[in-house]
Amino acid sequence: MRLIETARSARRTVVVLAAMLALLLAAIGFGPSAGAAEDTRPVVRVGVLAYRGAEVAAANWAPTFAHLSKTLPQYRFEMVTGSTAFLTAAVAANRLNFLITNPGHFLELRIDYAATALATEQDMNGSYSDESVGATILVPADLADVQIVTDLRKRRIAAVARDAFGFRAAWLELLERGVDPFRQTDLLFVGYPVEGVIDALRSGRAEAGIVRSCLLEQLIADGTARPDEFRVIGRKPSGTLPCQVSTRLYPGWPFVKVAQTAPALAAEIARALLVMQPAGGEVVWTDPVDYRLVQDLYRGLKVGPYALFTPLGLRDFLWEHRWWGMVAATIAAWWIFHVFRVAHLLRRRTRELQRAHEQARVKGERMEHTVRLSLMGEMASSLAHEINQPLAAILSYARGCERRLDAGIDPEGVLEGVRRIAVQAERAGSIVKRMRDFVRKHPSQQLPLDPSRVFADAIDLFEPTARGRDVRLEVDIPSTLPRVMADRLQIEEVVLNLLQNATEAVSGVADARIAVKAEAMDHVVRLSVTDNGSGVAPGAIDLLFEAFFTTKPEGLGLGLSLSRTIVEAHGGRLDVDIDTPGATTFWFQLPLIEEIARV
Amino acid sequence: MSETAPTIYIVDDDPAVRDSVAFLVSSVGYRWVACTSAQAFLDVLDDETPACVVLDVRLPGLSGLELQTELLRRGSSVGVIFVSGHGDIPKAVRAMRHGALDFLEKPFDDQVLLDRIGEALAASAETIRRRSRQTTLERRLSCLTEREREVLALVIAGKTSKAIALDLDISVKTVENHRHNLMTKAGATSVAQLIAWASEPPPG
Repeated sequence: MRLIETARSARRTVVVLAAMLALLLAAIGFGPSAGAAEDTRPVVRVGVLAYRGAEVAAANWAPTFAHLSKTLPQYRFEMVTGSTAFLTAAVAANRLNFLITNPGHFLELRIDYAATALATEQDMNGSYSDESVGATILVPADLADVQIVTDLRKRRIAAVARDAFGFRAAWLELLERGVDPFRQTDLLFVGYPVEGVIDALRSGRAEAGIVRSCLLEQLIADGTARPDEFRVIGRKPSGTLPCQVSTRLYPGWPFVKVAQTAPALAAEIARALLVMQPAGGEVVWTDPVDYRLVQDLYRGLKVGPYALFTPLGLRDFLWEHRWWGMVAATIAAWWIFHVFRVAHLLRRRTRELQRAHEQARVKGERMEHTVRLSLMGEMASSLAHEINQPLAAILSYARGCERRLDAGIDPEGVLEGVRRIAVQAERAGSIVKRMRDFVRKHPSQQLPLDPSRVFADAIDLFEPTARGRDVRLEVDIPSTLPRVMADRLQIEEVVLNLLQNATEAVSGVADARIAVKAEAMDHVVRLSVTDNGSGVAPGAIDLLFEAFFTTKPEGLGLGLSLSRTIVEAHGGRLDVDIDTPGATTFWFQLPLIEEIARV
Repeated sequence: MSETAPTIYIVDDDPAVRDSVAFLVSSVGYRWVACTSAQAFLDVLDDETPACVVLDVRLPGLSGLELQTELLRRGSSVGVIFVSGHGDIPKAVRAMRHGALDFLEKPFDDQVLLDRIGEALAASAETIRRRSRQTTLERRLSCLTEREREVLALVIAGKTSKAIALDLDISVKTVENHRHNLMTKAGATSVAQLIAWASEPPPG
């Protein structure tokens, strides 16, 4: 339904336009009745700038066209109306021979398309041909607080178009009074025809309007505007022009020859124009004037051919390359998205990695602690015995004292007994402390230390276990060794692991022996634990340092693997020698501090 | 013969335990000797004096149980009291079977230890006494003639002089003579005493 209506209204519009065109052509004696089919005369196409609509333009220039047709009947003249953009495009496409346009547009065409002026419009009211066009700034007569040009700041101003000549003329005036219309006013471009500006003022959409000079007087003459309806701002002398203007006056419209038009035709047209007589008080044509004033205007405003990048050109460029633009914009958008995404992912991955590191560290510490607890479990019964000894001694001393006191004898003996109780209590306490230190959870920290003390402590802790299993410990550890950077408890744990391992290996062996030897070598301190046990099965050698590999029914299988991890974390090595028959040696070495410092 | 004071031997490798036990037993006036190992103990042991040994089961070198076996082999009079930090049940069972007087777990009650020491010393003294009596008897009996031994065996078996005379195909008077002689040689005052001595088990 809607579509049909739209189609119908479109058809109606076409019909109306066609009827109007027919009327128009008939009026200038050039109707279709002349017989387009048999008309073989060369066509001369003249473009006309229609700033007030095609109808008004046609009416305006009808006398000129009639004159040309009459003077040069060998040509068929065709009027093509349109906006400046349309006409420029028609010139570029070589669709026009001549055109009638405003001075600004001509200037652009002169520079861009080598157009030349054949004649200049002269107002029939007798003004000079070089000052017949300007602009008028109007406000509604009742807008009391806008009196001078600078009052226009922050006002809404209506104009036809950014590239309309009138607007440009007013633009320069405003600039010269320190008002930048693009920054300090609120511009409203209503488009052609120019009556749109008047409508905007009447409807209140704009507080001021910029129109071509003499439009106001024409509207008043037509009766479409009341003489007291509008007031002109920033009036300038208008010379012989009988209109109020707000800008200086620029030359009238030129009759322009396009570069491709033959000079002979141009000469004929020029001659015809100059002999044209004012028929009913309208325009006549004179010799072309100097359009330098217009040039100055355009240069001052940096518009038209003087724009570094004309708004129109930029818009055209963008429009022409819109597909590439979209592709570029898409790529740019994608790239920006990608950059942010990568940054985001990087942050997330970094966080995940940190968390994983932390988890691994905690897990490692927990595993180390588990192994320590397991080691302690294996040594527990020996250590219980070790604590029981001083407790038994304490009890016997105490009872001995009691009996002496009861009997009232040997006071020195009582005193001595009490002293020995204290010594034994300290002994028990130190064993408990050593055990507690060993199984306590602690953050790993490497400090400079003498490893001989650490080795000796570990051996002390293990000694009862060895004794309980009838294993002879042969200890060869110097009283001091060069310092290493180490975590005391971790190294103690490694030594205990090796001792525990060796003890397992010699279980059931007659004359079981474990030799522990520490020595300083080049750049390292080395501790070796040699047993005379059953040795390592050939198949097991590769698996020895694997986690959870064990030959013991109750072993965790973590001891050697963890020990190696610990030693490597200290920058050292842990390995096994099985080359000597009847002797298995597990050893590890730690780099000396001096060596670390040198590297 | 056993006029010397009874001796407590303390064998433990832990000096504190050794010293504290010595401190305890000296509070009740015992004489004591501390040894660091089983071998050291064997070296200083005086088997003629009533004695007991407070012995740690677990010792370096010769272990407590091995020492007990060695003492049994020698027929020593020393009473053995085991102490242990471990409460090792199989070891305890074996030790008791071989005549240990007790198996005490460290830390032990002082009264129990002292009671056991007292019992052990008494037993040790008794053993020494019996052993010396036996020795005397054996020495005296070694002086008997072949015929006197035959008569003694029949007397202990509870036979009358007439039955013995009939068995040995000798006169009753001759039997009476032999009986008198052997009684004199053995130092017995009555046949009943003689029978009691002869039926005693050997000491150790």
